[in-house]
Formats: sequence, C-alpha cells, structure tokens
Amino acid sequence: MSNPTSLGLFEQANLLEKKEISSSELTELYLKNIKENEDLNCFISLNEYALDEARKIDKLKNRKSSVQGIPIAHKDIFCAKGYKTTCGSKMLENFTSPYSSTVFDKLNTSKTIMLGKTNMDEFAMGSSNETSYFGKVKNPIDKLRSPGGSSGGSAAAVKANLCAFATGTDTGGSIRQPASFCGVTGIKPTYGRVSRWGMIAFASSLDQAGIFAKSALDASIALEVISGFDEKDSTSIQKKVPNFRDETSSKMNHIIGIPYKLIDKIDDSNIKQNFLDAINTLEKNGIKTKEIDLPYIEYSLPSYYVIAPAECSANLSRYDGIKFGYRCSDPKDLEDLYTRTRSEGFGEEVKKRILIGTYCLSAGYFDAYYIKAQKIRALITKSFKQAFKEVTVIAMPTCSNEAFKLGSIQDPVKMYEQDIYTIPANLAGLPAISVPSGSNNKMPLGLQFIGNHLDESKILNISHEFQKLTDHHVC
Amino acid sequence: MKISEDTLKNISQLSKLNIADSMKEKISKELESILLMVDKMNEVDTEQIEPMSHPLNEAQNLREDIISKDIDRDEYIKNAPHSDDGYYLSPKVIEQE
Repeated sequence: MSNPTSLGLFEQANLLEKKEISSSELTELYLKNIKENEDLNCFISLNEYALDEARKIDKLKNRKSSVQGIPIAHKDIFCAKGYKTTCGSKMLENFTSPYSSTVFDKLNTSKTIMLGKTNMDEFAMGSSNETSYFGKVKNPIDKLRSPGGSSGGSAAAVKANLCAFATGTDTGGSIRQPASFCGVTGIKPTYGRVSRWGMIAFASSLDQAGIFAKSALDASIALEVISGFDEKDSTSIQKKVPNFRDETSSKMNHIIGIPYKLIDKIDDSNIKQNFLDAINTLEKNGIKTKEIDLPYIEYSLPSYYVIAPAECSANLSRYDGIKFGYRCSDPKDLEDLYTRTRSEGFGEEVKKRILIGTYCLSAGYFDAYYIKAQKIRALITKSFKQAFKEVTVIAMPTCSNEAFKLGSIQDPVKMYEQDIYTIPANLAGLPAISVPSGSNNKMPLGLQFIGNHLDESKILNISHEFQKLTDHHVC
Repeated sequence: MKISEDTLKNISQLSKLNIADSMKEKISKELESILLMVDKMNEVDTEQIEPMSHPLNEAQNLREDIISKDIDRDEYIKNAPHSDDGYYLSPKVIEQE
C-alpha cells in the first residue's frame, strides 16, 4: 500500500471502513509528517490529544459518518472550545475559545480528528500568508515561494500530506488563491451555505467557510458535513443540503460560460494558454461552452476594497483590551488602553485596512464610498444572474499568476490584484472552486469554476469531470 | 484623493490607532494608492441602482428570543486580561470631585 497520507479522503474512508488501516495509525503518520515538515510553518498550534481521540474512535463499532476517523486541520480562525484560536494575530495570541464554531462542531460530531490549527494571514487579511504574527508559511512545492493567502497554512498542509483535508475561509479569494498556488482543490460555497458562527469575523457580508482537499470528490464529502442552516447565524440559508458526493459524480449536462473579453486581457500568455488548454480538454470531451459577457466585473476590486475594509473596521472594533485578547501594559486611562492595545496588538496590514474602512465610513464619505460600492455590487451580481440564464457554470483562471516569491510584492495594490478573478464570486455570494490545471515555472495554476447561488453540486461536478480527464491534481 | 495630515489624524483617532511619526508618510501614500484604485468606481453610473446588502437578498433569519445556557460567565471571563470576582476591569473612568 502506498503511503496512506498521500491518499485523499475518499480512499482513506474506504480503507478505514474495510479496517485496512486504523484512525490512530493514520493520525500517527500525519503527526510524523507534520514534525518532519515543521519548517513549512503550516500550523500555529497542534492538538496534543489527537492520538487519544483517534484511539477512542477506533474502538467504535460502526462508522457513523463519511469522515469518521479522518485526521484534518482547521484554519486558526475557527473557534474550538478549550483550544487556542489566534486568527494569526498577536491580539489573540493567548485567546482560548470558550465555545466552538459550528464548522468545528459539525466536523467534531462527525468524528474527524483535529490535528491542529493552521497558520494564516492576520485576521485573514492578506494574499501571501506574510501578514501572520506567527511567521509566513512556505509553499511545499518551492519553499522560497508563497503558499497564497489568507488560508495558506491549510492549503500547504493538504499539499504536503499533513492532513487529509482542511477547513478555510474565503472573503475575497482566501481559499481559491492558495488552492491554486499549492496545487490543491479549494471550494468556497454559496454565502450562507455554511454557518459563520464562531468563525472570527473579517467582512461579514463576504466571509464564507469552505474546504481544501485533494480532489473535487473529496471536497464534496467534507463540504456536505459542514453545510446547513444554523439558527446561530442570521445570514445562514434555510435550504436543504444536497447529497454533494452523489451529485459530484452524477451525469450532468453542462454549458460552460467563458468571459472571453476578460480572458483576452490576461497579460501572461502562459496563464492564458493554460486556461484555454483546460477549456479545450473539456470541449474535446463533449462539454459545451458559450461566450458570456460579465459587464462591471472590472469594478469588483475597487468595490471590494471599500466593502471589506469598511466591514473590517466595524468588526475589529471589538478588540479593546478589556473583554479578551491582548492588553497594553499600564494604561493611564481608558483612551490610552484602547489606543495602545490596538496599536500594539494589530499588525500593519490590519491597521491599514481599519484606517481605509474608517475613512470610507466616516462622515461625508459614506455615500461616496460604501453606498456606491454596494450599488456596484448589485450590478455585478445582476450580470452574473444574467449569464446563468444561458450557462450552468462559468470558468476563468483562479489567479493571474503562479505562486510568487515570498517578499516580492511590496505595493499593497499589486497584492490586492492577486484577487481580481476571485473577488467577484464573493461580492455576488456565489459558490466557486479552484482546481489544479497545470503549471507555469514549475508552480501549479488553478482553474476556477463559478456557479449560480446554491449550485455547489454543478461546480463540483464539472471539476470532477475535469479531474477525470487530467492528472494535475495528483501530481 | 489626497490624505492630508489632518485626515490621517482624524481617522486614526476614530480607529483608536496610533501611527508613529516615522510611518505617517508611508501609510498616507499607501492609503492614497488604495483610494486611487477605489475611485475607478466613479466611472459607473449608479443613479437608479439600489445598494445591495445581502448577496441573496434574503431577510435575516432571526431565532426565537429565548434564553440559552450556552454561555458560562466564568468560562468567558477567563479570557479577560484583567478581571476581578466576575467583573471586567478597566482603568478608572469616573473622577472623584
């Protein structure tokens, strides 16, 4: 048997079911891999009880869930009762969650083993994993390069066989861009499909939890576990969760929408060619495509960089040095406590976004920035809805480049441009997935499929079709 | 959009953030470059458009207002940097006459 840690969730679950491997054996192998790959800096904390939990699960007579006994990792943005949850920040370095997020609860109740909490950009603000207080994560394929961000620790951990699958969050591309950089599959479902309860907030109208896995089929299994209505999240959707696994491998008739006007503007000819080759592979196998127009999509980035910082500035006002988190020493009065706590506890990128958000929301600017951005968001959403009248899914590259060298992007706007192809799906609340589609300069590239609201099955299905035709995801 | 020294002072006060003198120029320049990118929004005529708040335009699902026992005060207060007998401690805010 090949090393079981290199297998995906689906195959591991089969081995566990047939008792060809135990959860504790699997956990031990992963813990060994984690130790041997410490230099990647994927984890902020490890779960010292992981092996004990696996042994307990091995004693259970029946398998009660599709993920029972599977060792996984959680992005350190998900609260897990009794465990540290840092969100990659000095502000929460010593914060122990007094309650669990719904995502953690669902996976825990389904008897997965949490190996640890993964590294991330501070408060999920970043596209390179360089803003983490706990140091940058290295890309397992080339350690001089970024794993992407903000969920870079989770993406790198799945690629380096440090867990079977991992959770992540995606506000503007934080699952899909790192999935693309590390050569793994990453899905962000429809806004509201997965509960945000206990997931530390960045931009509440955009934040959504999702999954990193080795394939679309694996991702479908894990996504089904974490999806569903939750009364604790007022934006959670009251819709039945389909059987994602069955629908992923079912026969569907797709018409893929391609926004050629957008594709033509890609500067790097290798990136453009990689995308066109992927589409060609699907077309040659009988899948239909159709040109679509997505007007206003070029205004996604400007609109996002008003909405996300505005919501960030409101959400992060809770860090006041009183109820939880970092507190400065010897404050002379309340004002001094607030200001020094926040100035010392937050990193530079987080402060910058709070300042931008505060500016956009301040008196005299609210209409010109926030309301304007929300109107553009409505136009972008409408253009997607129009396109979905004619196509089942939309395809575009995940990112306009492969993983860049750590430290190579200093200009904030250049860094924000990492997310030009991923942000539109967040603004419109649409499900989107990135799957490996080949490489450039020996680094993986990602192909993105975007679906209509609640159509996770369709993007998983077309991704699975693509992965049946290619082997980029198993390289 | 130019970020003047006064504007930077105003937004840093509203944000409860100190900006070191040595960082002011760098931060102002970066904020200006972000706002320049954001200003591209003005190319779009949005006169007749309703702003969007929820991506699915759904009403918020509010649960019944029933007391739950999920929260344990002592468990929560353990995370407070300074507390005493179940109370959060802050610097004194009321001066004695």
